[in-house]
Amino acid sequence: MGLRSGTFQESYAQDMAIFHTRLDWGILFAFFIFLFTCPLFFSDRILTIMTMIGIAIISVHGLNILTGYCGQISIGHAGFMAVGAYTSAILTAKLGWPFWAALPSAALAAGMAGLIFGLPSLKIKGFYLIMATIAAHFIIVWFIFQLYGLTGGADGLAVPRPEIAGIVFKSKRSYFYLVMATACLATFTAQNIVRTRAGRAFVAIRDNDLAAEVMGINLWSYKLQAFFIGCVYAGVAGSLLVHYYAFASADLFPFWDSVWYLGMLIVGGMGSTAGAIFGAVSLKLLDELVTIVGPMLAAIFPAVAAQAAASLGLIARGLVIILFLIFEPRGLAHRWEMIKAYFRLWPFSHQE
Amino acid sequence: MARFRFALVASVICILAASPLVPASAEAAKTLYVGGTMALTGAYAEDTAAVLAGYEDYVKYVNETKMLAPWRKEKFPADITLEVLWRDDELKPPKALTIFEELKAKGILVFRCSGSPQALALKDRLFEDGFGAPSMATGPYLLTPPQSVFTYYPIYTDSLAAIADWFKENWKEKRKPRVAYLTADNAMGRSIVVPELEAYLKKKGYEFIGNQFVPLVPTSPPTTQLLWLKKNKVDLALGVMINPGSQPTVKEMVRLGIGPHLEYKMVFGVPAPGHTAVFAQAMGKLGDGYVCAGSFPPMDDLSTPGVKFCNDLQDKYRTGKRVTHIMYEAGVIEAMIQTEALRLAMKKLPFEKLTPRDVLEQGFYKIKELNTGDMSSTPLTYGKGDIEGADTVRVDQVQDGKVVKLGTWPCRHLYKR
Repeated sequence: MGLRSGTFQESYAQDMAIFHTRLDWGILFAFFIFLFTCPLFFSDRILTIMTMIGIAIISVHGLNILTGYCGQISIGHAGFMAVGAYTSAILTAKLGWPFWAALPSAALAAGMAGLIFGLPSLKIKGFYLIMATIAAHFIIVWFIFQLYGLTGGADGLAVPRPEIAGIVFKSKRSYFYLVMATACLATFTAQNIVRTRAGRAFVAIRDNDLAAEVMGINLWSYKLQAFFIGCVYAGVAGSLLVHYYAFASADLFPFWDSVWYLGMLIVGGMGSTAGAIFGAVSLKLLDELVTIVGPMLAAIFPAVAAQAAASLGLIARGLVIILFLIFEPRGLAHRWEMIKAYFRLWPFSHQE
Repeated sequence: MARFRFALVASVICILAASPLVPASAEAAKTLYVGGTMALTGAYAEDTAAVLAGYEDYVKYVNETKMLAPWRKEKFPADITLEVLWRDDELKPPKALTIFEELKAKGILVFRCSGSPQALALKDRLFEDGFGAPSMATGPYLLTPPQSVFTYYPIYTDSLAAIADWFKENWKEKRKPRVAYLTADNAMGRSIVVPELEAYLKKKGYEFIGNQFVPLVPTSPPTTQLLWLKKNKVDLALGVMINPGSQPTVKEMVRLGIGPHLEYKMVFGVPAPGHTAVFAQAMGKLGDGYVCAGSFPPMDDLSTPGVKFCNDLQDKYRTGKRVTHIMYEAGVIEAMIQTEALRLAMKKLPFEKLTPRDVLEQGFYKIKELNTGDMSSTPLTYGKGDIEGADTVRVDQVQDGKVVKLGTWPCRHLYKR
């Protein structure tokens, strides 16, 4: 805990609190004000980027619980997002359900799918589990294409804009609020889940599953719980994504997205709620940066083919992930902790 | 001091990282933008690079001459300069959305869609914001409302219907020809698996056998799928593939002795973007019999005015670095469509008052009989609810390693939702 010098916890409740000082609460309050006022001074483009980042944060939180905390590596996360997306799309577009009912149903459906595909985790782990989750992605996509009458197959499905209590979230501004509110709630929930009995069991399983089992942790139950919770997050993210596009298609959930979500976790820092946020924000911003730099480079160096300049995105992301794996495997979250530690005694310098 | 330096470096990094997010200020010069999102990374990279080159050269031509094409008399306003704006979406729908917002903030009034996933993601957004956009992907999903994404070559299902028409006209046997789909396993490839096309094939006298799917870019030869076609005695295989998919598929067909001139007779037909010109260049005589519908005239067919125009553009602006890919023509056509929409809109409204919706309603919807120099199978006509520009389908076949035009067939407009 990077608490400032002179801060003391006098009760268990204080010790367990997420926000310890008035400064923490102040920062949180300022952050909420910033979020609330964002649409006033940011363009549609930045709101779209922030909305996408918000959806990625929700999804990466789920992957963080599953992979970062419980150690069950999943590269089928985009597939689970697709389950949530299609559940929400079908319920709202075909059955006329309201969005507020479709969203939790989507989360539940994705969670159930996670339970099914999480079953192999009881027998296999590591590389073999990765293969199983990859298979999950392709099986889900196959089902989407096969259930033509329900999902629209390759044609996709037009999805209505979300409506809650008469408010239609149609504009970029209103959708930004919806996504940010959900992302904040998802972050708060994720931070609390990992502090529960289940959260501690997840960490124990990740660190040494044999030792955890010997200590009485039910691997079967907790691994499946991790899959369920992780996929619930994916379902919510998927639902928000298709309602934003107003269209559901299997192509909106490419396999590579699962890989990049894992990359976000590596860059941000596995096993840290802040890490999931750092990862999603940094890789999404990197994405935007290289999108803009690509055409600039193509203009500056006309001898270089446009594709070469444009492929910067893949190169940059890959390079960043490799650099983090080598030089900072604990991710940006760890860097952030170090920065906070550096300023803990500020303005007095201290040495480790 | 160390802390100060650290804070300074951190601030500079943050500012540099955030600087591209700040919207660019409106330009004082009278500049109109064309272009949009490009899929320069991934399976469509080669096609899109050629499209981008077409855009760039056409814009240079218009800026320099103020003409719209050598065969056209209308002129582009002399005081307005065109500029190409593009970003690579890496075939990612979320990126296409943020690119759209970024270019919109920069003042672009027209847009383009690069692939099916991006078109699906952008379709509603474009319509809501009043943007018209030509599309490199022509899935049937473009025919369902809302519609502001325009095609300049036929919808995949209509292209395949033309191949079916051609094949049936040349069918000599008394039995019904057997047809199956051998198509890419993605939204583009599966977009032909719709009841309308199957019904049309049956109506034409085909026996429909079933579907086989191949990855968009196969990582291993599709032997199983091809043997299934052989086992089921399929005469005509139809699918939507890009060249990185169709080339390895046909190579494996040849290895298995499947082809119009091999032991097991079967014809394989795809719509554009599985262009025969690209296919024949890479495969030579090995690809004999391969059919593609909805494509453009080959780049060496200088008797076609549009192709000659493309050739002249490259002579002028691309000396020593010529683009031989047929999608260069698509880039020129797209740039022509966008420029024409802007020009028509400016006839109704002054430059300063133009909005994307004006360009859609007074520009794109008003494009009638746009002569592309025969690069598209017919002159392009658009309107409200009429997003298919071309009314006939050009069908080509690889014969003796060369592209041979088999003819043109009417666009059947099969997909009705």
